[in-house]
Amino acid sequence: MAIKAVYRDDEGGRSGAAEICLKCGVCCNVAHSCHVMNDHKFNPRYTFVYDCLTSEKGASNPNIWLCVSCHKCEETCPYEVSPVHFIESLKGDALDAGWVHQTIRAEVNQIITTGFAFPLTGATERQRQALNLRSVPLPPLTDLMKIAEKTHIAERLREDKQ
Amino acid sequence: MRYALFLGCFIPMRLPHLEAVSRRVLPQLGVELTDIDGFSCCPEPVGFLTDKITGLAIAARNICLAEETGLDILTLCNGCTYTLRQANQILKQDSALREKVNDILAETGHKFKGTVDVRHYAQVLSRDIGRIKSIVKKPLTGIRVACHPGCHILSPPEAMGFDDPLNPTVLDSMVETLGATPVDWDKKTGCCGWTLTNYDDRESANRLLGEKLGAMHAAASDCSTVICPQCFYQFDTGQMLAARELKLDYRVPTIYYLQLLGLAIGLNLDEAGVKLHRVRDPALEEKLGRLAA
Repeated sequence: MAIKAVYRDDEGGRSGAAEICLKCGVCCNVAHSCHVMNDHKFNPRYTFVYDCLTSEKGASNPNIWLCVSCHKCEETCPYEVSPVHFIESLKGDALDAGWVHQTIRAEVNQIITTGFAFPLTGATERQRQALNLRSVPLPPLTDLMKIAEKTHIAERLREDKQ
Repeated sequence: MRYALFLGCFIPMRLPHLEAVSRRVLPQLGVELTDIDGFSCCPEPVGFLTDKITGLAIAARNICLAEETGLDILTLCNGCTYTLRQANQILKQDSALREKVNDILAETGHKFKGTVDVRHYAQVLSRDIGRIKSIVKKPLTGIRVACHPGCHILSPPEAMGFDDPLNPTVLDSMVETLGATPVDWDKKTGCCGWTLTNYDDRESANRLLGEKLGAMHAAASDCSTVICPQCFYQFDTGQMLAARELKLDYRVPTIYYLQLLGLAIGLNLDEAGVKLHRVRDPALEEKLGRLAA
């Protein structure tokens, strides 16, 4: 089965699929995050239907950052609407608009500039030595910088573009 | 079976004892590990969903390094598997996207060709349960284990190809092979909550964790087992940090599957790295010690 890779290029398809959502609530029953959020603030059905069809600034909805892409909503949706892909596409829109969550901004910058999402600490280095593990080899950062330059990711991570 | 070992970030930077036990146990199952210098973060899937093309290019660069050695990639982490398997599949299928990514990679000197596969070690081991059974020396008889496969090894199933995302049983079979008893427990397919802790919602993450720990405890589990370092961290350090808020009057230790396998093939608790855990249960360790004697 083919995997759809870049959903945000398909604005028409996105709205069309959202229109077939029956608001049956099945996705809200299985997306585990929905059960534990304060005031039920995360809800895949609400997030994508509201944002795709009714909101002028849908990608600014902070709820989209609470989706962890577990795909449970997609697996149970009886109409194959796939809320997870809508929410992912909204995250892409948020990048273009300058509304990326600060954690994402910091993490992406960290990976581009160091090669890893988590820094190596002195404590871990000592633990690695005690376990007779070799030092963590760093990736050539020039490669990552070249990729970042090509995709203009650093520039696109800037805030408040609108 | 020789593989390019993809460690990712979280295990080498935060949980090196899981790297140590993996390097010790996997070769005993005929899984030879080759280190390739130059791998970066996979990249982390949830963060790079904001810009899929950059994420794909970084993932493709990692896959290229393995292609250049002719080895398939072996991962120890659900997140790395999720990123790299999907990128590999998408780029093999979509020639236009492959061309775009190769254009981005051009100045790095790498080119994605689509000649290798990416597998989590659980995908490799579960295909040959008999091999696991053949090296078990100290069956973990009587140890009740709540199996938590984690979200990103299960979904999307057409890319991950590991197990039924709504009713997973593969990890249970792998645990049973060690002589332990996989328990039937509620909330098995739920998220561990780790990712939510990154997005300023620690309270919700703790509630998610509390629901899962409660279900494990209700099923009389001696411990849980996981195949993902983030799930491990949440059930171990996360449980320690959240215990007071959750008002827990019990603890459910967690043991990474390769640690459990290590114990079953004769490693002691120290060698398996269990003594470095934040949540430890003397009763469980006494049981394991007795089985190892």
